[in-house]
Amino acid sequence: MPIFAPSLPPKPDLSSGRPAAMVIARFDLQRVLRQKMGRFFGFLFTMMLLWRLGYVYIYYLKDQNAVIGKMMEAASPVLAQGAAWHADMLGGWLTYLLWFLVALIGGGLVARDTLYRVRPLMYAHPVKPSDYWTAKICLAALVPFAILAPFALLPWLLSVGLTGLHGVMWASTPLRLLPVALIIALLMGAVASGASSLASTPRAGVGWVLGVVLGLEAMGGMLYGLLGNGSWMAISPMALAAEWPKLLCGVTDGVFGWAPALIATASHLVLWTLILKARTRPSEAVL
Amino acid sequence: MIKLERASLRYGAVLGLSPTSFELPDGGGIVGLLGPNGAGKSTLLQLLSGLLPPSGGSVEIFGQTPFRNPEVLARIGLVPEGDRLPVGLKGRGWLRMMGRLSGLDGAPLETAMAQALETVGMSERADLPFQRMSKGMRQRMRLAQALLHAPELLILDEPFNGLDPEARLTLMGLLRRLADGGTRVIVSSHILSEVAQLTDRILLLFRGRLLAEGGISEIRQLLDRHPVELRLSGEARALARWAVEQPELVALELEESAAVLSIRNPRDFLPRLQSEAARGGLPITGLDPLDLNLEAVFQYLTKDHA
Repeated sequence: MPIFAPSLPPKPDLSSGRPAAMVIARFDLQRVLRQKMGRFFGFLFTMMLLWRLGYVYIYYLKDQNAVIGKMMEAASPVLAQGAAWHADMLGGWLTYLLWFLVALIGGGLVARDTLYRVRPLMYAHPVKPSDYWTAKICLAALVPFAILAPFALLPWLLSVGLTGLHGVMWASTPLRLLPVALIIALLMGAVASGASSLASTPRAGVGWVLGVVLGLEAMGGMLYGLLGNGSWMAISPMALAAEWPKLLCGVTDGVFGWAPALIATASHLVLWTLILKARTRPSEAVL
Repeated sequence: MIKLERASLRYGAVLGLSPTSFELPDGGGIVGLLGPNGAGKSTLLQLLSGLLPPSGGSVEIFGQTPFRNPEVLARIGLVPEGDRLPVGLKGRGWLRMMGRLSGLDGAPLETAMAQALETVGMSERADLPFQRMSKGMRQRMRLAQALLHAPELLILDEPFNGLDPEARLTLMGLLRRLADGGTRVIVSSHILSEVAQLTDRILLLFRGRLLAEGGISEIRQLLDRHPVELRLSGEARALARWAVEQPELVALELEESAAVLSIRNPRDFLPRLQSEAARGGLPITGLDPLDLNLEAVFQYLTKDHA
Protein backbone atom coordinates (compact mmCIF):
# COMPACT_ATOMS: atom_id res chain seq x y z
CA MET A 1 0.00 0.00 0.00
CA PRO A 2 1.67 3.22 -1.08
CA ILE A 3 1.84 6.08 1.38
CA PHE A 4 0.86 9.56 0.19
CA ALA A 5 1.30 12.94 1.81
CA PRO A 6 -1.98 13.98 3.46
CA SER A 7 -2.49 16.96 1.12
CA LEU A 8 -1.77 15.06 -2.06
CA PRO A 9 -4.34 12.44 -3.06
CA PRO A 10 -3.12 9.56 -5.23
CA LYS A 11 -2.87 10.44 -8.92
CA PRO A 12 -5.63 8.75 -10.90
CA ASP A 13 -4.67 6.09 -13.39
CA LEU A 14 -4.81 7.85 -16.75
CA SER A 15 -3.79 4.82 -18.77
CA SER A 16 -7.05 2.88 -18.54
CA GLY A 17 -8.99 4.99 -21.02
CA ARG A 18 -10.14 4.24 -24.55
CA PRO A 19 -9.05 6.09 -27.69
CA ALA A 20 -10.35 9.68 -27.64
CA ALA A 21 -12.14 9.29 -31.00
CA MET A 22 -14.10 6.35 -29.63
CA VAL A 23 -15.03 8.29 -26.48
CA ILE A 24 -16.35 11.24 -28.50
CA ALA A 25 -18.23 9.03 -30.97
CA ARG A 26 -19.78 7.00 -28.18
CA PHE A 27 -20.88 10.12 -26.33
CA ASP A 28 -22.48 11.53 -29.48
CA LEU A 29 -24.14 8.21 -30.28
CA GLN A 30 -25.75 8.16 -26.84
CA ARG A 31 -27.00 11.66 -27.47
CA VAL A 32 -28.40 10.66 -30.87
CA LEU A 33 -30.14 7.62 -29.39
CA ARG A 34 -31.83 9.84 -26.82
CA GLN A 35 -33.37 12.02 -29.52
CA LYS A 36 -37.09 11.46 -29.99
CA MET A 37 -37.02 11.42 -33.78
CA GLY A 38 -35.70 7.83 -33.57
CA ARG A 39 -39.23 6.42 -33.16
CA PHE A 40 -40.57 8.18 -36.25
CA PHE A 41 -37.70 7.20 -38.49
CA GLY A 42 -37.49 3.76 -36.89
CA PHE A 43 -41.11 3.12 -37.87
CA LEU A 44 -40.57 4.30 -41.45
CA PHE A 45 -37.41 2.28 -41.99
CA THR A 46 -38.94 -0.82 -40.40
CA MET A 47 -41.93 -0.57 -42.74
CA MET A 48 -39.60 -0.22 -45.72
CA LEU A 49 -37.60 -3.23 -44.61
CA LEU A 50 -40.74 -5.31 -44.09
CA TRP A 51 -41.91 -4.31 -47.56
CA ARG A 52 -38.67 -5.59 -49.07
CA LEU A 53 -38.79 -8.80 -47.02
CA GLY A 54 -42.36 -9.27 -48.17
CA TYR A 55 -41.15 -9.01 -51.74
CA VAL A 56 -38.69 -11.84 -51.21
CA TYR A 57 -41.33 -13.97 -49.51
CA ILE A 58 -43.82 -13.42 -52.33
CA TYR A 59 -41.25 -14.64 -54.86
CA TYR A 60 -40.70 -17.68 -52.70
CA LEU A 61 -44.45 -18.36 -52.63
CA LYS A 62 -44.55 -18.03 -56.39
CA ASP A 63 -42.41 -21.14 -56.70
CA GLN A 64 -44.39 -23.02 -54.08
CA ASN A 65 -47.95 -22.16 -55.03
CA ALA A 66 -49.30 -22.53 -58.56
CA VAL A 67 -52.05 -19.93 -58.16
CA ILE A 68 -49.67 -17.30 -56.82
CA GLY A 69 -47.18 -18.34 -59.51
CA LYS A 70 -49.69 -17.53 -62.24
CA MET A 71 -50.48 -14.20 -60.62
CA MET A 72 -46.76 -13.41 -60.47
CA GLU A 73 -46.29 -14.37 -64.09
CA ALA A 74 -48.93 -11.82 -65.00
CA ALA A 75 -47.27 -9.19 -62.85
CA SER A 76 -43.72 -10.07 -63.86
CA PRO A 77 -43.12 -6.90 -65.94
CA VAL A 78 -43.75 -4.91 -62.76
CA LEU A 79 -42.00 -7.25 -60.36
CA ALA A 80 -38.87 -8.05 -62.31
CA GLN A 81 -36.09 -9.52 -60.16
CA GLY A 82 -33.02 -8.53 -62.08
CA ALA A 83 -30.13 -6.19 -61.33
CA ALA A 84 -32.45 -3.20 -60.91
CA TRP A 85 -34.56 -5.11 -58.40
CA HIS A 86 -31.49 -5.96 -56.37
CA ALA A 87 -30.18 -2.40 -56.59
CA ASP A 88 -33.51 -1.10 -55.40
CA MET A 89 -32.93 -2.81 -52.05
CA LEU A 90 -30.76 0.21 -51.20
CA GLY A 91 -32.36 2.73 -53.50
CA GLY A 92 -35.51 4.76 -54.00
CA TRP A 93 -37.17 6.42 -51.05
CA LEU A 94 -34.85 4.70 -48.62
CA THR A 95 -31.84 6.90 -49.49
CA TYR A 96 -33.92 10.09 -49.74
CA LEU A 97 -35.33 9.47 -46.27
CA LEU A 98 -31.89 8.58 -45.03
CA TRP A 99 -30.45 11.87 -46.29
CA PHE A 100 -33.13 13.67 -44.31
CA LEU A 101 -32.31 11.68 -41.17
CA VAL A 102 -28.57 12.23 -41.61
CA ALA A 103 -29.18 15.97 -42.02
CA LEU A 104 -31.19 16.06 -38.78
CA ILE A 105 -28.59 14.08 -36.84
CA GLY A 106 -25.37 15.10 -38.53
CA GLY A 107 -26.29 18.76 -38.89
CA GLY A 108 -25.88 19.29 -35.18
CA LEU A 109 -22.89 17.03 -34.60
CA VAL A 110 -20.20 19.68 -34.97
CA ALA A 111 -22.38 22.80 -34.80
CA ARG A 112 -23.56 21.92 -31.29
CA ASP A 113 -19.97 21.77 -30.08
CA THR A 114 -19.34 25.13 -31.73
CA LEU A 115 -22.38 26.68 -30.06
CA TYR A 116 -21.51 25.39 -26.59
CA ARG A 117 -17.76 25.86 -27.06
CA VAL A 118 -17.00 22.27 -26.24
CA ARG A 119 -13.96 21.98 -28.49
CA PRO A 120 -11.60 24.16 -26.38
CA LEU A 121 -12.39 21.88 -23.46
CA MET A 122 -11.78 18.76 -25.52
CA TYR A 123 -8.52 20.04 -27.00
CA ALA A 124 -7.31 20.97 -23.53
CA HIS A 125 -7.42 17.22 -22.86
CA PRO A 126 -5.13 14.78 -24.64
CA VAL A 127 -7.39 14.93 -27.72
CA LYS A 128 -5.95 15.49 -31.18
CA PRO A 129 -7.98 17.31 -33.84
CA SER A 130 -7.86 14.12 -35.92
CA ASP A 131 -9.54 12.26 -33.03
CA TYR A 132 -12.31 14.81 -33.09
CA TRP A 133 -13.08 14.83 -36.80
CA THR A 134 -12.64 11.08 -37.14
CA ALA A 135 -15.20 10.59 -34.40
CA LYS A 136 -17.67 12.95 -36.05
CA ILE A 137 -17.38 11.41 -39.53
CA CYS A 138 -17.50 7.87 -38.17
CA LEU A 139 -20.61 8.55 -36.14
CA ALA A 140 -22.35 10.40 -38.98
CA ALA A 141 -21.53 7.39 -41.20
CA LEU A 142 -22.39 4.77 -38.60
CA VAL A 143 -26.04 5.78 -38.38
CA PRO A 144 -26.82 5.37 -42.11
CA PHE A 145 -24.72 2.20 -42.29
CA ALA A 146 -26.59 0.69 -39.34
CA ILE A 147 -29.85 1.40 -41.18
CA LEU A 148 -28.66 0.26 -44.63
CA ALA A 149 -26.96 -2.94 -43.48
CA PRO A 150 -30.23 -4.76 -42.60
CA PHE A 151 -31.60 -3.78 -46.03
CA ALA A 152 -28.52 -5.32 -47.62
CA LEU A 153 -28.51 -8.47 -45.51
CA LEU A 154 -31.95 -9.43 -44.20
CA PRO A 155 -33.73 -9.93 -47.56
CA TRP A 156 -30.79 -12.03 -48.72
CA LEU A 157 -30.80 -14.07 -45.49
CA LEU A 158 -34.54 -14.66 -45.86
CA SER A 159 -34.02 -15.69 -49.46
CA VAL A 160 -31.20 -18.09 -48.52
CA GLY A 161 -33.31 -19.47 -45.67
CA LEU A 162 -36.31 -20.10 -47.88
CA THR A 163 -34.78 -21.19 -51.16
CA GLY A 164 -31.04 -21.66 -50.69
CA LEU A 165 -28.22 -19.86 -52.50
CA HIS A 166 -29.88 -20.19 -55.90
CA GLY A 167 -33.20 -18.70 -54.88
CA VAL A 168 -34.90 -15.36 -55.21
CA MET A 169 -31.79 -13.27 -54.57
CA TRP A 170 -28.32 -13.63 -56.01
CA ALA A 171 -25.79 -15.44 -53.90
CA SER A 172 -23.45 -12.48 -54.30
CA THR A 173 -25.96 -9.89 -53.06
CA PRO A 174 -24.19 -9.04 -49.76
CA LEU A 175 -20.87 -8.70 -51.59
CA ARG A 176 -22.49 -6.07 -53.76
CA LEU A 177 -24.82 -4.32 -51.33
CA LEU A 178 -22.62 -4.13 -48.23
CA PRO A 179 -19.88 -2.14 -50.01
CA VAL A 180 -22.63 0.07 -51.43
CA ALA A 181 -23.99 0.64 -47.94
CA LEU A 182 -20.50 1.53 -46.73
CA ILE A 183 -19.86 3.98 -49.59
CA ILE A 184 -23.24 5.68 -49.13
CA ALA A 185 -22.74 5.86 -45.36
CA LEU A 186 -19.27 7.39 -45.68
CA LEU A 187 -20.53 9.87 -48.24
CA MET A 188 -23.41 10.87 -46.01
CA GLY A 189 -21.16 11.06 -42.94
CA ALA A 190 -18.55 13.25 -44.63
CA VAL A 191 -21.08 15.63 -46.19
CA ALA A 192 -23.15 15.94 -43.00
CA SER A 193 -20.26 16.51 -40.61
CA GLY A 194 -18.43 18.81 -43.03
CA ALA A 195 -21.51 20.94 -43.64
CA SER A 196 -22.26 20.96 -39.91
CA SER A 197 -18.83 22.44 -39.23
CA LEU A 198 -19.81 25.47 -41.32
CA ALA A 199 -22.70 26.27 -38.99
CA SER A 200 -22.69 27.80 -35.53
CA THR A 201 -25.96 26.30 -34.27
CA PRO A 202 -27.46 22.82 -34.70
CA ARG A 203 -30.44 24.21 -36.62
CA ALA A 204 -28.18 26.08 -38.97
CA GLY A 205 -26.23 22.82 -39.34
CA VAL A 206 -29.34 20.97 -40.49
CA GLY A 207 -29.97 23.81 -42.92
CA TRP A 208 -26.41 23.60 -44.22
CA VAL A 209 -26.61 19.85 -44.82
CA LEU A 210 -29.97 20.04 -46.57
CA GLY A 211 -28.83 23.10 -48.50
CA VAL A 212 -25.66 21.40 -49.70
CA VAL A 213 -27.42 18.15 -50.64
CA LEU A 214 -30.44 19.71 -52.34
CA GLY A 215 -28.43 22.58 -53.83
CA LEU A 216 -25.94 20.24 -55.48
CA GLU A 217 -28.78 18.01 -56.68
CA ALA A 218 -30.44 21.01 -58.31
CA MET A 219 -27.12 22.21 -59.77
CA GLY A 220 -26.32 18.75 -61.13
CA GLY A 221 -29.79 18.52 -62.66
CA MET A 222 -29.39 21.91 -64.33
CA LEU A 223 -25.96 21.09 -65.74
CA TYR A 224 -27.27 17.72 -66.96
CA GLY A 225 -30.20 19.45 -68.61
CA LEU A 226 -28.08 22.19 -70.16
CA LEU A 227 -25.11 20.14 -71.31
CA GLY A 228 -26.90 16.87 -71.91
CA ASN A 229 -24.22 14.87 -70.11
CA GLY A 230 -25.36 12.67 -67.23
CA SER A 231 -21.91 12.74 -65.66
CA TRP A 232 -22.65 16.21 -64.29
CA MET A 233 -25.21 14.64 -61.98
CA ALA A 234 -22.28 13.08 -60.14
CA ILE A 235 -21.63 16.39 -58.36
CA SER A 236 -24.76 15.66 -56.34
CA PRO A 237 -24.19 13.46 -53.27
CA MET A 238 -27.84 12.46 -53.52
CA ALA A 239 -27.40 11.26 -57.09
CA LEU A 240 -24.22 9.42 -56.11
CA ALA A 241 -26.02 7.60 -53.29
CA ALA A 242 -28.75 6.62 -55.74
CA GLU A 243 -26.26 5.53 -58.42
CA TRP A 244 -23.87 3.32 -56.42
CA PRO A 245 -26.35 0.43 -55.89
CA LYS A 246 -27.01 0.40 -59.63
CA LEU A 247 -23.31 0.36 -60.47
CA LEU A 248 -22.44 -2.47 -58.12
CA CYS A 249 -25.49 -4.51 -59.05
CA GLY A 250 -24.73 -4.12 -62.76
CA VAL A 251 -27.71 -2.02 -63.83
CA THR A 252 -26.90 -0.83 -67.32
CA ASP A 253 -29.17 2.18 -67.68
CA GLY A 254 -27.68 4.34 -64.90
CA VAL A 255 -27.40 8.12 -65.21
CA PHE A 256 -23.58 8.04 -65.11
CA GLY A 257 -20.84 5.46 -65.11
CA TRP A 258 -18.08 4.19 -62.87
CA ALA A 259 -15.50 6.91 -63.56
CA PRO A 260 -17.69 9.94 -62.66
CA ALA A 261 -19.03 8.04 -59.63
CA LEU A 262 -15.56 7.18 -58.34
CA ILE A 263 -14.09 10.63 -58.98
CA ALA A 264 -17.05 12.51 -57.53
CA THR A 265 -17.34 10.27 -54.46
CA ALA A 266 -13.62 10.58 -53.70
CA SER A 267 -13.82 14.34 -54.26
CA HIS A 268 -16.75 14.70 -51.87
CA LEU A 269 -15.03 12.59 -49.21
CA VAL A 270 -11.81 14.60 -49.45
CA LEU A 271 -13.47 18.02 -49.74
CA TRP A 272 -15.84 17.66 -46.78
CA THR A 273 -13.18 16.03 -44.63
CA LEU A 274 -10.82 18.93 -45.38
CA ILE A 275 -13.55 21.45 -44.56
CA LEU A 276 -14.29 19.65 -41.30
CA LYS A 277 -10.61 19.46 -40.49
CA ALA A 278 -10.05 23.15 -41.20
CA ARG A 279 -13.10 24.27 -39.23
CA THR A 280 -12.28 22.23 -36.14
CA ARG A 281 -8.61 23.12 -35.70
CA PRO A 282 -7.60 24.19 -32.20
CA SER A 283 -7.12 27.74 -33.51
CA GLU A 284 -10.82 27.74 -34.41
CA ALA A 285 -11.68 26.68 -30.89
CA VAL A 286 -11.08 30.10 -29.38
CA LEU A 287 -11.51 30.46 -25.65
CA MET B 1 6.89 24.70 -14.28
CA ILE B 2 5.96 27.45 -16.76
CA LYS B 3 8.51 29.25 -18.88
CA LEU B 4 7.76 31.72 -21.65
CA GLU B 5 10.62 33.17 -23.66
CA ARG B 6 9.57 35.97 -25.96
CA ALA B 7 6.42 34.01 -26.75
CA SER B 8 4.11 35.89 -29.08
CA LEU B 9 0.93 35.10 -30.94
CA ARG B 10 -0.50 36.58 -34.11
CA TYR B 11 -4.01 36.16 -35.47
CA GLY B 12 -3.21 36.92 -39.08
CA ALA B 13 -2.24 40.59 -39.16
CA VAL B 14 -3.40 41.19 -35.58
CA LEU B 15 -0.89 40.80 -32.78
CA GLY B 16 -2.70 39.00 -29.96
CA LEU B 17 0.29 38.85 -27.65
CA SER B 18 3.58 40.74 -27.94
CA PRO B 19 6.79 38.88 -27.15
CA THR B 20 6.34 37.96 -23.51
CA SER B 21 8.73 36.34 -21.08
CA PHE B 22 8.10 35.11 -17.56
CA GLU B 23 8.71 32.08 -15.45
CA LEU B 24 6.64 30.42 -12.74
CA PRO B 25 8.34 27.89 -10.50
CA ASP B 26 7.13 24.43 -9.54
CA GLY B 27 4.72 24.01 -6.67
CA GLY B 28 1.28 25.24 -5.72
CA GLY B 29 -0.02 28.76 -5.43
CA ILE B 30 -2.29 31.14 -7.27
CA VAL B 31 -1.21 33.56 -9.97
CA GLY B 32 -3.61 36.25 -11.13
CA LEU B 33 -3.57 37.25 -14.77
CA LEU B 34 -4.90 40.76 -14.77
CA GLY B 35 -5.85 43.02 -17.63
CA PRO B 36 -8.80 44.83 -19.19
CA ASN B 37 -10.88 43.19 -21.91
CA GLY B 38 -8.78 42.65 -25.01
CA ALA B 39 -5.50 42.76 -23.08
CA GLY B 40 -4.41 39.33 -24.33
CA LYS B 41 -5.29 37.26 -21.26
CA SER B 42 -7.23 34.61 -23.18
CA THR B 43 -4.49 34.53 -25.82
CA LEU B 44 -1.88 33.85 -23.18
CA LEU B 45 -4.09 31.15 -21.65
CA GLN B 46 -4.52 29.56 -25.09
CA LEU B 47 -0.76 29.30 -25.35
CA LEU B 48 -0.44 27.88 -21.85
CA SER B 49 -3.21 25.33 -22.34
CA GLY B 50 -1.72 24.09 -25.59
CA LEU B 51 -4.60 25.17 -27.81
CA LEU B 52 -2.31 27.22 -30.01
CA PRO B 53 1.40 27.22 -30.80
CA PRO B 54 3.25 30.52 -30.31
CA SER B 55 3.90 32.52 -33.50
CA GLY B 56 7.34 33.35 -32.12
CA GLY B 57 9.45 32.48 -29.09
CA SER B 58 8.75 29.45 -26.95
CA VAL B 59 6.33 28.18 -24.33
CA GLU B 60 7.37 25.41 -22.01
CA ILE B 61 5.26 23.74 -19.37
CA PHE B 62 6.76 20.97 -17.26
CA GLY B 63 9.81 21.34 -19.52
CA GLN B 64 7.89 20.56 -22.72
CA THR B 65 5.93 22.38 -25.40
CA PRO B 66 2.23 22.10 -24.53
CA PHE B 67 0.83 22.40 -28.08
CA ARG B 68 -0.67 19.02 -29.09
CA ASN B 69 1.44 17.33 -26.44
CA PRO B 70 -0.65 14.69 -24.64
CA GLU B 71 1.96 14.32 -21.90
CA VAL B 72 1.62 17.97 -20.93
CA LEU B 73 -2.13 18.22 -21.55
CA ALA B 74 -2.74 15.28 -19.21
CA ARG B 75 -1.24 17.41 -16.42
CA ILE B 76 -3.27 20.58 -17.19
CA GLY B 77 -6.87 21.40 -16.30
CA LEU B 78 -8.62 24.18 -18.22
CA VAL B 79 -11.80 26.07 -17.36
CA PRO B 80 -12.52 28.33 -20.34
CA GLU B 81 -14.48 31.55 -20.12
CA GLY B 82 -18.29 31.48 -20.21
CA ASP B 83 -20.87 29.20 -18.73
CA ARG B 84 -22.26 27.55 -21.84
CA LEU B 85 -22.77 23.85 -21.47
CA PRO B 86 -24.74 21.61 -23.83
CA VAL B 87 -28.45 21.77 -22.97
CA GLY B 88 -30.26 18.49 -22.59
CA LEU B 89 -27.26 16.83 -20.99
CA LYS B 90 -26.91 15.84 -17.38
CA GLY B 91 -23.84 16.95 -15.49
CA ARG B 92 -22.66 13.48 -14.54
CA GLY B 93 -22.81 12.08 -18.08
CA TRP B 94 -20.89 15.03 -19.47
CA LEU B 95 -18.33 14.77 -16.69
CA ARG B 96 -17.87 11.06 -17.42
CA MET B 97 -17.11 11.82 -21.07
CA MET B 98 -14.57 14.48 -20.09
CA GLY B 99 -12.93 12.03 -17.70
CA ARG B 100 -12.66 9.45 -20.47
CA LEU B 101 -11.00 12.03 -22.69
CA SER B 102 -8.37 12.40 -19.97
CA GLY B 103 -7.67 8.67 -20.13
CA LEU B 104 -9.76 7.54 -17.17
CA ASP B 105 -12.21 4.67 -17.25
CA GLY B 106 -13.96 2.16 -15.03
CA ALA B 107 -13.42 2.34 -11.28
CA PRO B 108 -10.67 5.02 -11.41
CA LEU B 109 -13.04 7.25 -13.39
CA GLU B 110 -15.90 6.78 -10.94
CA THR B 111 -13.55 7.50 -8.01
CA ALA B 112 -12.16 10.61 -9.73
CA MET B 113 -15.68 11.84 -10.50
CA ALA B 114 -16.81 11.36 -6.93
CA GLN B 115 -13.73 13.23 -5.66
CA ALA B 116 -14.08 16.10 -8.13
CA LEU B 117 -17.80 16.50 -7.44
CA GLU B 118 -17.13 16.41 -3.72
CA THR B 119 -14.40 19.05 -4.09
CA VAL B 120 -16.69 21.45 -5.95
CA GLY B 121 -19.69 20.64 -3.75
CA MET B 122 -21.84 19.18 -6.54
CA SER B 123 -22.16 15.55 -5.45
CA GLU B 124 -25.89 15.86 -4.80
CA ARG B 125 -26.74 17.90 -7.88
CA ALA B 126 -24.60 16.36 -10.62
CA ASP B 127 -27.58 14.50 -12.08
CA LEU B 128 -29.44 17.70 -12.91
CA PRO B 129 -29.56 18.72 -16.57
CA PHE B 130 -27.37 21.72 -17.31
CA GLN B 131 -30.31 23.96 -18.17
CA ARG B 132 -31.65 23.49 -14.62
CA MET B 133 -28.35 24.44 -12.99
CA SER B 134 -27.57 27.97 -11.81
CA LYS B 135 -24.58 29.84 -13.22
CA GLY B 136 -22.59 29.04 -10.10
CA MET B 137 -23.42 25.34 -10.37
CA ARG B 138 -22.44 25.25 -14.03
CA GLN B 139 -19.16 26.97 -13.22
CA ARG B 140 -18.48 24.38 -10.54
CA MET B 141 -19.22 21.58 -13.02
CA ARG B 142 -16.74 23.13 -15.44
CA LEU B 143 -14.22 23.23 -12.65
CA ALA B 144 -14.99 19.60 -11.77
CA GLN B 145 -14.17 18.46 -15.32
CA ALA B 146 -10.81 20.23 -15.06
CA LEU B 147 -10.07 18.53 -11.73
CA LEU B 148 -10.96 14.96 -12.75
CA HIS B 149 -7.44 13.98 -13.73
CA ALA B 150 -5.85 15.77 -10.72
CA PRO B 151 -3.97 18.36 -12.81
CA GLU B 152 -0.80 19.98 -11.52
CA LEU B 153 -1.65 23.18 -13.39
CA LEU B 154 -5.20 24.57 -13.34
CA ILE B 155 -6.04 27.40 -15.74
CA LEU B 156 -9.23 29.41 -15.28
CA ASP B 157 -10.32 32.13 -17.70
CA GLU B 158 -12.53 34.77 -16.04
CA PRO B 159 -14.08 32.22 -13.67
CA PHE B 160 -15.93 34.82 -11.57
CA ASN B 161 -17.90 36.40 -14.42
CA GLY B 162 -21.61 36.32 -13.73
CA LEU B 163 -21.29 34.68 -10.32
CA ASP B 164 -23.17 36.07 -7.33
CA PRO B 165 -21.10 37.15 -4.29
CA GLU B 166 -21.71 33.90 -2.42
CA ALA B 167 -20.70 31.75 -5.39
CA ARG B 168 -17.62 33.95 -5.83
CA LEU B 169 -16.53 33.40 -2.24
CA THR B 170 -17.17 29.66 -2.53
CA LEU B 171 -15.08 29.46 -5.70
CA MET B 172 -12.28 31.53 -4.18
CA GLY B 173 -12.18 29.24 -1.16
CA LEU B 174 -12.08 26.24 -3.46
CA LEU B 175 -9.20 27.63 -5.49
CA ARG B 176 -7.25 28.45 -2.33
CA ARG B 177 -7.72 24.88 -1.08
CA LEU B 178 -6.50 23.49 -4.40
CA ALA B 179 -3.48 25.78 -4.35
CA ASP B 180 -2.70 24.76 -0.77
CA GLY B 181 -2.87 21.14 -1.91
CA GLY B 182 -0.05 21.64 -4.39
CA THR B 183 -1.89 22.71 -7.55
CA ARG B 184 -0.58 25.72 -9.45
CA VAL B 185 -3.65 27.85 -10.27
CA ILE B 186 -3.70 30.59 -12.91
CA VAL B 187 -6.78 32.81 -12.79
CA SER B 188 -7.48 35.54 -15.32
CA SER B 189 -9.65 38.50 -14.48
CA HIS B 190 -10.17 42.13 -15.43
CA ILE B 191 -11.09 43.13 -11.89
CA LEU B 192 -8.15 44.10 -9.67
CA SER B 193 -9.99 43.65 -6.37
CA GLU B 194 -11.09 40.15 -7.40
CA VAL B 195 -7.53 39.03 -8.04
CA ALA B 196 -6.23 40.87 -4.98
CA GLN B 197 -8.61 38.84 -2.81
CA LEU B 198 -7.27 35.63 -4.23
CA THR B 199 -3.55 36.04 -4.59
CA ASP B 200 -0.65 38.37 -4.09
CA ARG B 201 1.13 37.36 -7.25
CA ILE B 202 -0.08 38.89 -10.47
CA LEU B 203 0.82 39.31 -14.11
CA LEU B 204 -0.44 42.57 -15.60
CA LEU B 205 -1.34 42.51 -19.29
CA PHE B 206 -2.41 45.42 -21.45
CA ARG B 207 -2.94 45.53 -25.20
CA GLY B 208 -1.12 42.27 -25.71
CA ARG B 209 1.88 43.24 -23.59
CA LEU B 210 3.02 42.04 -20.20
CA LEU B 211 3.39 45.30 -18.29
CA ALA B 212 4.30 44.14 -14.85
CA GLU B 213 4.85 41.01 -12.84
CA GLY B 214 5.02 40.76 -9.09
CA GLY B 215 3.10 41.02 -5.84
CA ILE B 216 0.02 43.16 -5.42
CA SER B 217 1.95 45.54 -3.11
CA GLU B 218 4.69 46.02 -5.72
CA ILE B 219 2.11 46.75 -8.41
CA ARG B 220 0.31 49.13 -6.06
CA GLN B 221 3.55 50.98 -5.37
CA LEU B 222 4.00 51.28 -9.09
CA LEU B 223 0.48 52.69 -9.39
CA ASP B 224 1.05 55.12 -6.51
CA ARG B 225 3.57 56.99 -8.61
CA HIS B 226 0.78 58.04 -10.94
CA PRO B 227 -1.79 60.75 -10.18
CA VAL B 228 -5.41 59.76 -9.61
CA GLU B 229 -8.32 62.12 -10.27
CA LEU B 230 -10.95 62.71 -7.58
CA ARG B 231 -13.98 65.00 -7.66
CA LEU B 232 -14.85 66.46 -4.26
CA SER B 233 -18.37 67.88 -4.25
CA GLY B 234 -19.32 70.65 -1.81
CA GLU B 235 -18.03 74.19 -1.32
CA ALA B 236 -15.46 74.27 -4.08
CA ARG B 237 -13.31 77.14 -2.80
CA ALA B 238 -13.06 75.81 0.77
CA LEU B 239 -12.19 72.35 -0.54
CA ALA B 240 -9.54 73.84 -2.83
CA ARG B 241 -8.02 75.81 0.07
CA TRP B 242 -7.58 72.58 2.06
CA ALA B 243 -6.33 70.63 -0.95
CA VAL B 244 -3.50 72.99 -1.87
CA GLU B 245 -1.92 72.34 1.53
CA GLN B 246 -1.72 68.58 0.87
CA PRO B 247 1.67 67.26 -0.34
CA GLU B 248 0.04 64.68 -2.72
CA LEU B 249 -1.73 67.34 -4.82
CA VAL B 250 -0.51 67.49 -8.41
CA ALA B 251 -3.24 69.55 -10.09
CA LEU B 252 -6.45 71.31 -9.14
CA GLU B 253 -9.48 72.34 -11.18
CA LEU B 254 -12.46 74.23 -9.82
CA GLU B 255 -15.99 73.54 -10.97
CA GLU B 256 -19.20 75.28 -9.88
CA SER B 257 -19.80 73.11 -6.82
CA ALA B 258 -16.84 70.76 -6.87
CA ALA B 259 -13.07 70.62 -6.89
CA VAL B 260 -11.34 68.12 -9.17
CA LEU B 261 -8.04 67.06 -7.64
CA SER B 262 -5.23 65.18 -9.24
CA ILE B 263 -3.29 63.43 -6.48
CA ARG B 264 -0.49 60.93 -5.96
CA ASN B 265 -0.44 58.21 -3.29
CA PRO B 266 -4.21 58.00 -2.79
CA ARG B 267 -3.63 55.49 -0.01
CA ASP B 268 -2.05 58.27 2.11
CA PHE B 269 -4.35 61.01 0.92
CA LEU B 270 -7.74 59.34 1.25
CA PRO B 271 -7.58 58.43 5.01
CA ARG B 272 -6.53 62.04 5.77
CA LEU B 273 -9.44 63.37 3.72
CA GLN B 274 -11.81 60.99 5.46
CA SER B 275 -10.71 61.98 8.98
CA GLU B 276 -10.81 65.70 8.09
CA ALA B 277 -14.36 65.33 6.75
CA ALA B 278 -15.39 63.32 9.84
CA ARG B 279 -13.99 66.06 12.07
CA GLY B 280 -16.25 68.55 10.26
CA GLY B 281 -13.33 70.53 8.94
CA LEU B 282 -14.31 70.07 5.29
CA PRO B 283 -17.56 71.20 3.58
CA ILE B 284 -17.73 68.03 1.49
CA THR B 285 -20.92 66.36 0.25
CA GLY B 286 -19.52 63.74 -2.14
CA LEU B 287 -16.38 62.01 -3.35
CA ASP B 288 -16.11 60.46 -6.82
CA PRO B 289 -12.96 58.77 -8.06
CA LEU B 290 -12.84 59.67 -11.73
CA ASP B 291 -10.20 57.30 -12.99
CA LEU B 292 -9.60 54.62 -10.43
CA ASN B 293 -10.90 51.98 -12.81
CA LEU B 294 -8.51 49.39 -14.14
CA GLU B 295 -8.50 50.81 -17.64
CA ALA B 296 -7.09 54.10 -16.31
CA VAL B 297 -4.51 52.28 -14.23
CA PHE B 298 -3.34 50.38 -17.28
CA GLN B 299 -3.17 53.56 -19.29
CA TYR B 300 -0.87 55.06 -16.67
CA LEU B 301 1.31 52.01 -16.78
CA THR B 302 1.37 52.06 -20.54
CA LYS B 303 2.60 55.65 -20.52
CA ASP B 304 5.15 54.68 -17.91
CA HIS B 305 6.48 51.92 -20.10
CA ALA B 306 6.36 53.91 -23.32
